[in-house]
Amino acid sequence: MSMTAGPAMKLQDFAQVVRSKNAGPRRLTLDIIFRDDADYQRAVQSEALTPEKIAPLYGVAANTVTVINYPLGRAIKVVVPRKIMSGNPGDRDVYGAQQHTPLLELNI
Amino acid sequence: MSASARILDQFSKSNGSDPIRILGASGQLGYGIPTSAFSAGLGRQPHLIGCDMGSIDIGPYYLGSGEMATAPASTKRDLKKVLLGALKHKIPLVIGSAGSAGAKPHLDKTLALMREIARDNGLRFRMAVLRADVDKNVLKVALKTNGVTPIDDMPGLNDEEIDAAANIVGQMGMSAFQRALAEGIDIVIAGRACDTAIFAALPAMTGFPVGPAMHMAKIIECASLCCIPGGRDAILATLDHEGFELDSMAPQRCATPVSVAAHSLYEQIDPFTVYEPEGRLDLARATYHAIDNRRTRVVGALWEDAKEPWVKIEGSRKVGERAVLLCGTADPKFIAQLNELLKEVEIVVRDLVCEDSAEDYVLTWRVYGVQGVRMTPAVAETPPPEAFIMAECIAPTRERAAEVVRTTKQYLLHHGYEGRLSTGGNLAFPFTPPEVSIGTAYRFNIYHLMRTADLAGMFPLEIEAL
Repeated sequence: MSMTAGPAMKLQDFAQVVRSKNAGPRRLTLDIIFRDDADYQRAVQSEALTPEKIAPLYGVAANTVTVINYPLGRAIKVVVPRKIMSGNPGDRDVYGAQQHTPLLELNI
Repeated sequence: MSASARILDQFSKSNGSDPIRILGASGQLGYGIPTSAFSAGLGRQPHLIGCDMGSIDIGPYYLGSGEMATAPASTKRDLKKVLLGALKHKIPLVIGSAGSAGAKPHLDKTLALMREIARDNGLRFRMAVLRADVDKNVLKVALKTNGVTPIDDMPGLNDEEIDAAANIVGQMGMSAFQRALAEGIDIVIAGRACDTAIFAALPAMTGFPVGPAMHMAKIIECASLCCIPGGRDAILATLDHEGFELDSMAPQRCATPVSVAAHSLYEQIDPFTVYEPEGRLDLARATYHAIDNRRTRVVGALWEDAKEPWVKIEGSRKVGERAVLLCGTADPKFIAQLNELLKEVEIVVRDLVCEDSAEDYVLTWRVYGVQGVRMTPAVAETPPPEAFIMAECIAPTRERAAEVVRTTKQYLLHHGYEGRLSTGGNLAFPFTPPEVSIGTAYRFNIYHLMRTADLAGMFPLEIEAL
């Protein structure tokens, strides 16, 4: 699938990979990887994946969220702080591997 | 002649045109190493076999308790497989972050398995052992002299936290492995280590440029995870003085320019920079080129030496003893009011178990199907047909934690509420007892960088002849 314009689509309907994982025990890193350059450009240009848009999904302040565009890997990387450090009492996801789901429904 | 001496001798006589081949055998030794890809890798005459055995990702329990995350039988099977391969081909085997967390108990358990394998199979070899435990007094001195800094907004460290840590390890870098390889050894077993150092140490000491060597190491430490489809099969990297080529030893796995580049993102905050104790890897100018449809060549990584070494240190301390209650419900009226009902039961339980003692425990609910997984809860439009409820108690003693979850079980089962029809009980237990004592709960209390002028002293080397 390749499109540069058109009606909004949910991220889960055109991304190749949407994954989360710890980057150390205090950060979550979310990688969104696309099948081709057109899909990647569509996501980059949509401005749906900005710190301001992503921060509320993770209950954190926008100035703690980093978004890095990585054209070589056709990927957008998002880093958010974990509110509970990995493995601390109250944690729900020690590896951080299931925290990608708030991104799936984003309209791009 | 030892394996490391043989390889170092071979490269000292080379005119510089010979590439070095490194076999990434496993990113998680102890969970099984697929035999066919590993054997194919050995057939390509590698100069070193590297395996990563641990990570901080598995949480604070293993570092704190000294337990391995992998089962002893599968760990022994993997160790035997890579050991036999290395000895047969007379090439060094390098294993980092032994026993899942790389502290003394983990390293000692791994060494005990190695000695058993040697004895059972009549094997003889020279084994280098690198320890990674951080001396508490050395750390306190570093703390007093501004030699400790938090990572990612970790709270500042103090002497009480240092004393309370069950185990503290530092991540050793290339220089520790190079000291071991220089001693004429066949096998290196290291405590907590940078996964990259396992694979980059030998190429760097045989004159290959550190940038590409480190970039190669960063990719092959996960075996064939950088491929499409990703997997745990062995991967072969062939490094020359300009760059390296990646070739998965499983024919169905393709290392493509995009899949390899995308792997630079994995578990990293910054896809362009990797910090190591001895310096900084800069990937901003790295480029990825297809050799054919399943092999990729990578060039352009740069390395900058650190002015002074900083070592990443990790510590874990006991929080209490943990017990859990496991149960489910399918009652729509119960599920609809669940949040309020759990709060009511919490109070009932507290009033009972604290009648003659302090409120010395923490009770946490996770309701799967409703709000068990996401760190920020999803808002469901309709209630789920079933929910799984886990109550977790952390208390000062195992007995106290068990008392709290057993009381919770009984009062949640029979809790009355407005509109209740199911007066026989609110819960389904998949088995009894539904309360389980899990063991000691830990938390990471040290995740810092420590400055050191003595990397060799921090990661001491022992040689054992088997």
